[in-house]
Amino acid sequence: MELLDRYLQAVKKHLPWERQDDIVAELRANLEAQLEDKEAELGRPLTAGEAEEWLKQIGPPIQVAARYMPQQYLIGPALFPTYWFVLRLAVFWVTVAYSIGVAVQIAVRTPSLTAALEGVLRVPEVLLTTAASVTLIFAVIEFLATRYPGRWPLPVARSADWTPSTLPPVDKEAVSGQKPRSYAHAVAEAIFGFLALVWLLLVPDHPYLLMGPGAAYMQGSPFQLAPVWVPIYWWVVGLNVLQLGWRAVDLLRGSWRGPRSAQRNTVQALGLIPLLLLLNVRDHAWVVLSHPAMDQARYGAALDGINKGIYLGASILCALAVLQLVWEIGRMGLNVYRKRAAAMR
Amino acid sequence: MTLTENLFENLRLELRRGCLTLAVLAQLRQEHYGYTLRKALAKRGLEIDESTLYPLLRRLEAQGLLTSEWREEDKRNKRFYRLSSDGQAIFAQLFEEWQAINAAIHLTIDNIQ
Repeated sequence: MELLDRYLQAVKKHLPWERQDDIVAELRANLEAQLEDKEAELGRPLTAGEAEEWLKQIGPPIQVAARYMPQQYLIGPALFPTYWFVLRLAVFWVTVAYSIGVAVQIAVRTPSLTAALEGVLRVPEVLLTTAASVTLIFAVIEFLATRYPGRWPLPVARSADWTPSTLPPVDKEAVSGQKPRSYAHAVAEAIFGFLALVWLLLVPDHPYLLMGPGAAYMQGSPFQLAPVWVPIYWWVVGLNVLQLGWRAVDLLRGSWRGPRSAQRNTVQALGLIPLLLLLNVRDHAWVVLSHPAMDQARYGAALDGINKGIYLGASILCALAVLQLVWEIGRMGLNVYRKRAAAMR
Repeated sequence: MTLTENLFENLRLELRRGCLTLAVLAQLRQEHYGYTLRKALAKRGLEIDESTLYPLLRRLEAQGLLTSEWREEDKRNKRFYRLSSDGQAIFAQLFEEWQAINAAIHLTIDNIQ
């Protein structure tokens, strides 16, 4: 039957070359015997439509051929949990290392908002490269373990050696995470928040509260803080007022027990604004000379050094604050997801 | 296919997979080639697709549980399979395991009813 020949030819194309003749010969013998039976039962040859229906029932050639192949995985089920664990670790640590690297590079070379933006835009490329590299390594491990199981056993096969006593101790957070905050704790937070605000408001008139003996030195030195610190200062004051207000409302409403991740994350996000304002100060002049006309020649180089140091510190601080915020938001999202998943069960 | 039908189909295939191997090994205590084996199993109520059975025979042979030889029958070359000595030993163990599982499931169901 011509249709059967065409079918077998199509199957053959998808079989491994070293076994294709043998498999097709066997398949032909089986299918021809089946065809003979069908025709004997009907007392006539199959019509074109019946033959087509019969072969259709056996399945598409590519799928029939695929059944003769060993099950193939890029990364198999035995290795996949390890792969997933390593991938998450790699993506996390590469992001941390990259962010710090970019922050330092921007600070040392040409500090600008464009350079920071370029650094952020390159994040997807860095993450994709990391994921691709990890995937490639695990695909090679899977390939070697499948082809040469004796010489290259799967690393997970050795995990039979593990014992429960080697497991890490239970995280403190996991044990105490569900414990609600006490009233005394919430009141203490509000009191200390209020004291911190008072202290902050006293700093402009009494700088020794912030700098200690350094305030006296600053007064006698040729340097002084640039006016750009004023809006940043008031922003920080505003944040403290907001946080204190939130705590007071929590106390009044009796809702101090609940988790406060949303509040914490909002304050952290708003806290990034003064840092960004600081980074975008024109000419990076955070500290200026009290008498520039007189002192520029003598203290100009020292002033540059001080401002560069502030910029480097602020860049690293900003990168760490962003990372912490991303981490906290991720944790909050994960908790919400877990709670929803648990509620749906 | 609805979600429930799809789920049932997946579970049914999973359940059948091991049983088919056992049935094929049981039937091949007697020599067969692919098509007659399929007919013999169908006659006992176990329908298996061609695209499942024929590759399964190859896999079992590669695992050393079956032996095969090409022979002419009815003017056509056919590949005949039968259980190897390793296959016989494995089949005996699998059959015992299957009987134990079967008995345990029956006991569980009877207990609940």
